[in-house]
Amino acid sequence: MRRSPWLRILRPLTPRARIACGVLAFVLPLALWSLVSYVPAIWHPQVRITDPGSVSYLDTGAYLPRAAFDTEVADARHEQRAAPKGVSANPIYLPSPGQVLQAFYRAFTTRPETKDGPWLYQSLWHSIQIIFWGYMISSLLGVPLGILCGAYAAMARLNEPFLEFFRYLPAPAFGALAVAILGIYDGPKIAIIVIGTFFQQVLIIANTTRKLDPALLEAALTLGTRSRQLLTRVVIPGILPDLYRDQRILLGWAWTYLIVAELIGTTSGITWFITQQARYQHFANVYAAIAMIGILGLGTDLLLARLGRSLFPWDRALVKSA
Amino acid sequence: MSFAEIECYRNLKSYYRIAGEGSFMVRATLSGVLLLLALISPCAPAASAPLRLGYSDWPGWIAWQVAIDKGWLAQAGLDVKFEWFDYSASMDAFSAGKIDGDCVTNGDALVLGAGGTRNIMIMLTDYSNGNDMIVARPGIKTLNDLKGRKIGIEIGLVEHLLLLDGLKRVGLSPNDVTLVNSKTNETPQILASGQVDAIGAWQPNSGLAMKAVPGARPVYTSAQAPGLIYDVLIVSPATLAQHRAEFSKLIQVWEHVVNYINDPKTRDDAVQIMAARVGLAPAQYQSLLAGTHLINIAEAKKVFGRGPGLKSLYGSSQNADDFNVHNAVYKQPQKIDSYIDPALTAAQP
Repeated sequence: MRRSPWLRILRPLTPRARIACGVLAFVLPLALWSLVSYVPAIWHPQVRITDPGSVSYLDTGAYLPRAAFDTEVADARHEQRAAPKGVSANPIYLPSPGQVLQAFYRAFTTRPETKDGPWLYQSLWHSIQIIFWGYMISSLLGVPLGILCGAYAAMARLNEPFLEFFRYLPAPAFGALAVAILGIYDGPKIAIIVIGTFFQQVLIIANTTRKLDPALLEAALTLGTRSRQLLTRVVIPGILPDLYRDQRILLGWAWTYLIVAELIGTTSGITWFITQQARYQHFANVYAAIAMIGILGLGTDLLLARLGRSLFPWDRALVKSA
Repeated sequence: MSFAEIECYRNLKSYYRIAGEGSFMVRATLSGVLLLLALISPCAPAASAPLRLGYSDWPGWIAWQVAIDKGWLAQAGLDVKFEWFDYSASMDAFSAGKIDGDCVTNGDALVLGAGGTRNIMIMLTDYSNGNDMIVARPGIKTLNDLKGRKIGIEIGLVEHLLLLDGLKRVGLSPNDVTLVNSKTNETPQILASGQVDAIGAWQPNSGLAMKAVPGARPVYTSAQAPGLIYDVLIVSPATLAQHRAEFSKLIQVWEHVVNYINDPKTRDDAVQIMAARVGLAPAQYQSLLAGTHLINIAEAKKVFGRGPGLKSLYGSSQNADDFNVHNAVYKQPQKIDSYIDPALTAAQP
């Protein structure tokens, strides 16, 4: 019996099917969103007022549930007053894809409104720098420590129980403390990202190190490798592709701490844009900003995956996952 | 933007090079420790730093933006830098001593002080004149109608104070209503959910609540209790001692700001600047500004006079202190006199 090529367990797809699935992964949710936004019959539970008529409490642009709107219209007709007019609309928190796309474009083309206020791309660049330094500092400490913990049981016992304890402490809770020590600008923000990333990083990398094929170690020892060389010549090169993949995942981890980190101290970066727009219910702008972060994150990851394939061509898992 | 830590690390790297060819382990640990040090040690010297003041999203404080954008601070010979915060983050930074002054309500100044952050209110910026509201769902027209109903409010904050004040005026006791502890910025959704009959919030949340529930109307606002909540600039006693002359000039800059905003000829320009700061259309911003009464020097002199009622900062702060103690925001009643320094305002021409 011939099985469908789409549903074979642990088998790679054909290249064309891979591309098709990848495109659909984005097109399907977008199509669903468009359908809900542009076909009034599907949802549109509210009415956006275009003309308040004789109803004193309505303003142009206000949102009213459909039932309440219908009652008002019926009342007005009954009493021979001017009836309010409106169009079907989704709730204010669900803008249409078109509105979000417009907001996306506008965000980059509109001059900052305050004098010497940052452009959106400058805010975004600031956020990227925060992430970069947070991730760099965490990696400079975490990667060596992780490898050591993985390689030497004594190091592992010495560090891991404490790290296991510490990684459960929520990073944002250190906000006020970080401000007290590091000031109000970028220091505390970077620190929050370091705290959020570092502890997981050590444990994950230690684990990766432990998974190194013992046959490699035995072969090296048989060939007369000395202890220190074993670490630098066998262990580290051996785990490098997996380490690289861990680092990619951890970079995503660092991004998730960005919004809380940037609320600490002076408000800055993309977070300023998101929180301010959300406060005044400009949700199209909020979604646009969230999409920017998504695009940046996914873009970096794809780039790193491609780089990984040329750096470690022998690693089959990397080729398969990318 | 500055990355002092990184600069610092660069200097330390030369030391690391001298340390020479260590084993991998030693080198890794060394660089780790150095980076940690670089991150923690305040490398940049704090020589002749400007005075740094915190401000946040409240119309009375956004007014400072006019002075900032127009360059009036520099014109007055002031080296003052305003830092934009979320309100509670600004108080954290002030508590940690990372900013020299902060814009807060008089009630919160007491809360900070009771928590160990000594501070002095040296100037008044405004009082809320309608921006703080108790908003009731359609069908409820007066505060009296709230008897026996549920009200969503952030317990211990200013709207709670406003509600108690209102209830007292209409002859109701606090026990006549049921309070549902709610985050102020979630109150619009809470009112819309229909699970409460009213909410207490300040702008823009109170306005958004009315937008979310058409027909909802305020039944009590701070316009009916002017002076219940004063907004002030607080500084630490040490900062005040070192910079009295600068703060005196700052009060004059504020006078300029208030005049510029209140003058019909320049009001539009001022509103434009302030609306831009928070990303609103000027027309939308007008209504927020209307609910805030900015205080000029002449009026501040009166408010800084002693008195038992809400017309005086002393009376208002005493009222807030009683409220805070009663609601266990803190335990020990505060000495109001030690929180207020009227001298800078009194000395203005």
